[in-house]
Amino acid sequence: MIQTVLGTSSDIVVRKINDDSTGLDGVAFVYIYDLIDQQTVNQMILHPLMTEIGEQTSPSSSSEWLKIIKNKVLSVGQVKELHSMDEAVNQLLEGCTLVFLQGCTVALAANTYGGEYRSIEEPSSQTVIRGPKESFTENIKTNISLMRRRIKSTELRVELRQIGKQTKTHVGIMFLKGIAKDKIVEEIRTRLNRIDTDSILESAYIEEFIQDANMTPFPTIENTERPDAAAAGILEGQIAIIVDGTPFVLLAPVTFVRFFQSSEDFYQRYDIATFLRIIRYVSFFISMLLPSLFIAISTFHQEMLPTPLLISLAAQREGVPFPAIVEALLMEITFEVLREAGVRMPRVIGPAISIVGALVLGQAAVQAGLVSAAMVIVVSFTAIANFVIPAINMAIAARLIRFVMMILGGTLGLFGIMSGMMVILIHLAGLRSFGVPYLAPLSPFIWTNWKDTFIRVPQWAMKKRPPTMASKNNITRQGKGQKPAPPGPNSDT
Amino acid sequence: MERISQSQLASLIILFQIGSSPLFLLASEAGTDAWLSVFIGMLCGMAVLIAVTLPIYRKTPDKNLAEIFTGTFGKVAGSLFGVTYVVYFGYKAVRNVREFSDLMILYLLPTTPLWFIMFVFLAVAGYAICQGIEVFARIAEILLPIIIIVYIVLFFMIYCTGIFDYQRLLPILDDGLKKVADAAIPELISFPFGEMVLFLMFWKHASPSARTTRTTLFSFLFAGTFITLTNIVIIGSLGTLSGISVVPLMQVVNLVQFANFVERLDPVVALLLFAGVFMKMTAYFFGTTLVFTQVFRMNRRKAVIPVGLLIFMGSLMFRSYMQHIWFGFEKNLKFHFPIFQIGIPVFLLLAVILKSRLQGSKSPPS
Repeated sequence: MIQTVLGTSSDIVVRKINDDSTGLDGVAFVYIYDLIDQQTVNQMILHPLMTEIGEQTSPSSSSEWLKIIKNKVLSVGQVKELHSMDEAVNQLLEGCTLVFLQGCTVALAANTYGGEYRSIEEPSSQTVIRGPKESFTENIKTNISLMRRRIKSTELRVELRQIGKQTKTHVGIMFLKGIAKDKIVEEIRTRLNRIDTDSILESAYIEEFIQDANMTPFPTIENTERPDAAAAGILEGQIAIIVDGTPFVLLAPVTFVRFFQSSEDFYQRYDIATFLRIIRYVSFFISMLLPSLFIAISTFHQEMLPTPLLISLAAQREGVPFPAIVEALLMEITFEVLREAGVRMPRVIGPAISIVGALVLGQAAVQAGLVSAAMVIVVSFTAIANFVIPAINMAIAARLIRFVMMILGGTLGLFGIMSGMMVILIHLAGLRSFGVPYLAPLSPFIWTNWKDTFIRVPQWAMKKRPPTMASKNNITRQGKGQKPAPPGPNSDT
Repeated sequence: MERISQSQLASLIILFQIGSSPLFLLASEAGTDAWLSVFIGMLCGMAVLIAVTLPIYRKTPDKNLAEIFTGTFGKVAGSLFGVTYVVYFGYKAVRNVREFSDLMILYLLPTTPLWFIMFVFLAVAGYAICQGIEVFARIAEILLPIIIIVYIVLFFMIYCTGIFDYQRLLPILDDGLKKVADAAIPELISFPFGEMVLFLMFWKHASPSARTTRTTLFSFLFAGTFITLTNIVIIGSLGTLSGISVVPLMQVVNLVQFANFVERLDPVVALLLFAGVFMKMTAYFFGTTLVFTQVFRMNRRKAVIPVGLLIFMGSLMFRSYMQHIWFGFEKNLKFHFPIFQIGIPVFLLLAVILKSRLQGSKSPPS
């Protein structure tokens, strides 16, 4: 029967036991070899069924047998009774071992989930110097356990569901009841339930189905592979969406400024963290605007530069055959190609590419008179500034906008850049992420959030959760008077 | 209905008032006492605001100007009034577009065609209007602190360079108070202090409405003080020269040299002007579109295009910047604008009061 549904895949194991001596006739196990933990099946199911079954008093009907097997024989944590074929097949594909009895309409599913998974490793895309070195894995169960270990609150809720007609991927939402806003949780539930698709292979699939705005380069859902970052988000009222099969967990709702926060901000001293954070904002603007400003000033507004600099720039550009905009686009595209090559190519070839990139495209292009040295500096600084932004999806947005800005700067000068910035500002001000204005707390202005936006105040000063995301009923994060002070003069220590 | 917070309303009012005012030396006829004229103009504007504009709002806090018209005078006459305000708001937007585009050509892009700059400028504004009043108010809230900080830095640099000399402001009231007052009335009431009539379109969105009056008055006062201060800085730095330069503030900033490195700050001023004029123009554009939608029963997103086209054509009608300035300061400020800023609002206020009296006597509140 199972074989009619699943076909004759060779990894489905069907084993029948016929043992007349105990009065139990026709027991069958079904499992998929690659999905189960062989040891569990052997020790907890096969062994007890074959040996201990004899010690039981033999009941008359097969349903009685089923009860005995369920309650006394199978020593596995999770055993379910199944009443339909669909359910049985689902459980089988989840890695359960099914136990069938002849003459009985109910089957048993014992959880023997196992198989090989990547172990917990260091995060590869969001690294820190100080802080936890664990990252999520592809296994949703491991991921949930990583989160549970960090937040031991009774209010932590996990809701699992399966999405995808073919892949039947487990998708879990995780939040702190009472801290996350009920309205947003409900919104996420309805948006997830609305998804009707074949397959979910990565959390990006989910992201594209549930995000607020599609016509935007800016991400309206955050993703992280760091359990500590996800836990921090949940503690501030965000809702985590964990997808089986990927180490990237989604966090929603999200605001613009959150993409400039790294979890390390909270592991370093607050003054240093503030400095680093401001550097990030500056880098964002550099990576978006520097080439376009350079083009605009060197094409339209030369008078803005101090004379010695202007002369040196003009001397450099003397032999260059292209206008500044073409030169910049050429270099930017070259760099984007190099970067893409760096990501895609096999690791072994790495050094070769960097030599070609650095020597041929940098040094030689200048010597050959194709581009000016100043342009190489501008382009490489822009590129490096782009890597400073902790969230890769925000960095990509800046990269895309850069090209538009360069064209604007090359055609309309500073006026074009100002217009472009204004359009971006209007666009950002209109975005929302699950009802939360994207530019909060800048506008609408929320003072409490400013303690953790451009600056980061010390932990003891962040008395309240950010009201943009957290529920208003439960806003206090910690008690008063936590500011550390030296012991008084009378104290002995 | 879309809601804007009190801080957003305040930012809108301040940016709207500052808007394009630093472009000109207001009340230049008063010579060194121009700043006194500005101050008097502000007080008069405040009086108009308190006596006429705000009472209209308080009588009908949940309606915008177009709705008040149709509510008070009926559909036909109300729409007629609405059309006159489409013309007035639209014309103000036209002036802003023209001023801005001409200055861009003057200072940043001498070879770019005028219509192209106007087109880009209007397109950006149109995008903001499509996004709605909430988004527009948020932009104001973000831009305001940036603009204020840049102005403060600029003033600080001007002071440090030593251009500013308060002796140039002396003697005060050399030609008597009459000349000062003459310069202030009616020009300064119409521009910029009487323009608050536009906010009859936006006030209904402000929440909580109980605090709207207070916020409006405070932000108006702040903006007025700021404009007066700018005026003092310009006169104190340029003296008698200030009357003849096209954009006095640009002239002042040209003189700034700071630490042998910061020499050319024109683009900073251009940036300030861009932000200020953009906000003011978009506010007028927005007002025009709103009245337009009311009168012609159209969707806002659809109405943006015809209104934008009208403004675009309108701004191409002036032959030159000089004609534009002359027409604006000589004709509009003295004769045309006061009708819309004071005349019609007073009439409207009387009508609203009369109507509520009549209704009150007919059906006493139960």
